[in-house]
Amino acid sequence: MPTPFDIQHNGNATTIAIRGSLDINSAPALAEAIDKVVMRRPEKVGVDLSGLDLIDSSGVAALVKLYKNVRANGGSITITGARDQPLAIFKLLRMDKVFNL
Amino acid sequence: MAPPIRLTVPGTLRYRPIAVRVVSEAARLVSASASNPDDDPQVHDVRDPFDTAVVSAFMEIFNNVAIHAYKRREVGTIEIVITPDERQLVIEIKDQGQPFDIDGVAELPEELDEHSLPEGGMGIHIAKTMLDEMTYEPGPPNLWRLCKRLPSLRASGTTGRS
Repeated sequence: MPTPFDIQHNGNATTIAIRGSLDINSAPALAEAIDKVVMRRPEKVGVDLSGLDLIDSSGVAALVKLYKNVRANGGSITITGARDQPLAIFKLLRMDKVFNL
Repeated sequence: MAPPIRLTVPGTLRYRPIAVRVVSEAARLVSASASNPDDDPQVHDVRDPFDTAVVSAFMEIFNNVAIHAYKRREVGTIEIVITPDERQLVIEIKDQGQPFDIDGVAELPEELDEHSLPEGGMGIHIAKTMLDEMTYEPGPPNLWRLCKRLPSLRASGTTGRS
C-alpha cells in the first residue's frame, strides 16, 4: 500500500499533504510520522487534505493528535482542502469549526 | 427485486478495502450517483451524500468488528449481506466474535474546542449519525444492521423514487 502522505520541512514550517484513504490501515504510519514532526517543534504546520478521498475515525484521531501536539508546543496549525467525505466527517464531528475548515 | 449481494471475508483489517469497495459500489447502485468512467478504478468515488453516509458508516462498523469482536486476530469471518433497492440500502454484518458493549459507548462532548477534541470513541457516533437506522444484536453471531434511505423518501414519506 503506498504511503498516503508527504511531509516537507522548510525551516520552522512543515507541510503535510495527505491523499487517498486515511483510515485504520494507513493512520498508524501517519501517526508515527507525526511523532517525528512534533519532536521538531515546528512553529507552523500546514496540512493539505485536497488529495484526501476517504477518512475514518482512526484517520481523524491521527489528525487530532497532530493538532493537539503542535498547539501544545506553541505552534500554529492550518488544515486546508478538506472536501467530500472527509469534510462531511469533520462536520458531523463538529470539528470543522475547530479546524477552521 | 435482485437478490442480495453476499460477501464473506476474513475478519481482519487486511480485507477491509475489498469490503469497502463492494459497499461503495452498492451504494452507487441505489443513489445512481454519477461515476466518471475515466476515474482511476482504485480510487473510491465517494462524493454523493448517500454514498458518503453508507461508506462512512460501514467502514466504522467493519473496524469495530475486526478490533472488538476479533481482537485484530484472523480467527473468524465477517459475513456481509447488502440489499439494495430503489428506496434504500440495507447492510447486515455478521460475526462470530466477542459481543460489543454498544451501550458503553460514551457520547461525544457537546461543545468542542481544541482541548476537548476526542482522539477515540468516534466510530459508533459516526455510523449512527450517518444512517437512518442502526441496530446491533449481540450474539454470537453478532449482527449489525445498517439502513440508509434515499433523501427524497425521508422527506416525503412516500415509497416511490422521485
